[in-house]
Amino acid sequence: MKWLAVFLTLVGLGLALGWPQFSQLAADSWRRHGTPRLQQPEGWPRPVYDFSGNPLSRAGFELGRALFYEPKLSRDDSIACANCHQQFVAFANAGHRLSHGVNNALGTRNAPALFNLAWQPSFMWDGGVHPLEVQPLGPISNPVEMAETLAGVVRKLQDDPRYPPRFAAAFGSPRIDGQHVLLALTQFVGTLQSADSPYDRYLAGRVRFNAQEQRGLAVFRAQCVSCHREPLFSDYSFRNNGLDAEPRDPGRAHITERAEDRGLFRVPSLRNIAVSGPYMHDGRFETLDAVLAHYAEGIVSSATLDPALRQGLKLDAADRAALRAFLDTLTDERFLHDPRFADPGEDS
Amino acid sequence: MSWGLRKARMGVLWLVMAVMLAACGRHQATAVGAVALEITHQVDGQALQLHEAQYPTPQGERFSVDKLRYYLSNFRLHRRDGQWFVPAVDAQSSKGYYLVDAADPASLRFRIEAVPPGDYDGIEFLVGVDEARNHAGVQSGTLDPAQGLFWTWKSGYIFLQLEGHSPQSGADDHALTYHLGSVDAQDRARSVYLPLAPSVAKVSERIEPEIHLYVDLAELFRGTHEIRIAQLNTVMGSSAGKTLSDNLPGLFHVDHVHNEPRHRAHDS
Repeated sequence: MKWLAVFLTLVGLGLALGWPQFSQLAADSWRRHGTPRLQQPEGWPRPVYDFSGNPLSRAGFELGRALFYEPKLSRDDSIACANCHQQFVAFANAGHRLSHGVNNALGTRNAPALFNLAWQPSFMWDGGVHPLEVQPLGPISNPVEMAETLAGVVRKLQDDPRYPPRFAAAFGSPRIDGQHVLLALTQFVGTLQSADSPYDRYLAGRVRFNAQEQRGLAVFRAQCVSCHREPLFSDYSFRNNGLDAEPRDPGRAHITERAEDRGLFRVPSLRNIAVSGPYMHDGRFETLDAVLAHYAEGIVSSATLDPALRQGLKLDAADRAALRAFLDTLTDERFLHDPRFADPGEDS
Repeated sequence: MSWGLRKARMGVLWLVMAVMLAACGRHQATAVGAVALEITHQVDGQALQLHEAQYPTPQGERFSVDKLRYYLSNFRLHRRDGQWFVPAVDAQSSKGYYLVDAADPASLRFRIEAVPPGDYDGIEFLVGVDEARNHAGVQSGTLDPAQGLFWTWKSGYIFLQLEGHSPQSGADDHALTYHLGSVDAQDRARSVYLPLAPSVAKVSERIEPEIHLYVDLAELFRGTHEIRIAQLNTVMGSSAGKTLSDNLPGLFHVDHVHNEPRHRAHDS
């Protein structure tokens, strides 16, 4: 009887609202309260990370979320992933060229924004890490970040009465191990999907661009898209974009040990770019205007400079203003404020 | 590699194993045996003692060892009639991937199970982890990254970790740090084949042979390449370690083989 009542209510609601509104309402409600599922929007490639090996569950996702906001992941219990990856700036580190680790140690590279990671083939600015599951080992164990070991994290979580039951719910055993810590974190960071910016709505025909945005899109597609490939806004290659004649950070060459990879860094996505500065692998540019000025007139020549940038980009003042307007359309407000990704707080 | 492909491959492997086992089963007794392996560490005949003792290298340099850990995997046993026995593996478990830690006596002895009866005259294994598992994502058991033998700034296992000191090391605190692993696609875990001759391992319902191996660290510094600590005191996954990796197979030797009745083998 109860189910019949629910069914009739739903049918009544559907009739009263009309199907499109009703389905939108149902979808929104699900989006707010449900466990995220990875969507493959129209025009997107298949994700690189395959969740079939790490089946998403509410318990697993919520555990990953709790761990992302858990300072016990650092040696002195002072710093969580979320300290340097803040949701309101697309999980970048607001206002920090470099981030502070335990004992106020300073890192050497800018904390990247986190979203659409399931589509990203390799991680870190030098691409040394893949697949996604093992990425958290880097920040957890880096002496200038969390300075902890995975074994230490496992020990602390095992001793915290809140965690064994949550691991049991997610993975079937209250005995915590490194694999389950990393799989849970992957369920959270791997479902941070940003695909609902004004640009996406424009592509779907749901909103229009004004003339400035329209022009910015044209400039973007003429000059930027070869590296910042749509719809993910990166081709995930490694390139030297002309920052230094003699790079201090070897970048990609740190992994490959090849001279031709010196000073090459991963091409970052431009989604949410307006909110996720400072920019570049070392956070040297505070503003997007500084970034565009660099591409227009600041390219420094070196042996490994990307061929596409030898002449710099042809961007006059009007082009840059239009590009700025277009880049603003890549900010996904819904993602920045999605309650499912927020700090679960003490009461979780 | 995607999970799907990985699973499919493992599925095929399982199928092959199942067919092989079924085929064997028809010809032989259904009972299966086991082989035990026991490892001791030494430097040119002197038993390895962690921390205190100093040992000479063949080049006359001296070194001590604080930590020695490494993976052995992909064991195969060669039978006298030319057949190979390959233990089944499961993509979901780290069974068959042994983490040997000189500081942990329990890790120095392990068993290969489900071995069909027969006379075995050779043993083969990898020092490290095979390419598929090296990039398979986060695993459990001996392959859990929490074991501390997974690089954190790049992806892949540390196949062998040797840490100690040497007066010839120019590093801080005269540290000696060798973390060896796969550096690129051509630089995979080294394979070792050890003939048991003149012995054989006689696996049967009654007998569980024990193969005693010894690992001689002096061989790390001679073998294919001559290594001088004064020139190479630190390797952390860089191609500078390839010479050391090339020397790894030379470390492993068969000491002797026991063919003891099963109950005694278990008790020892």
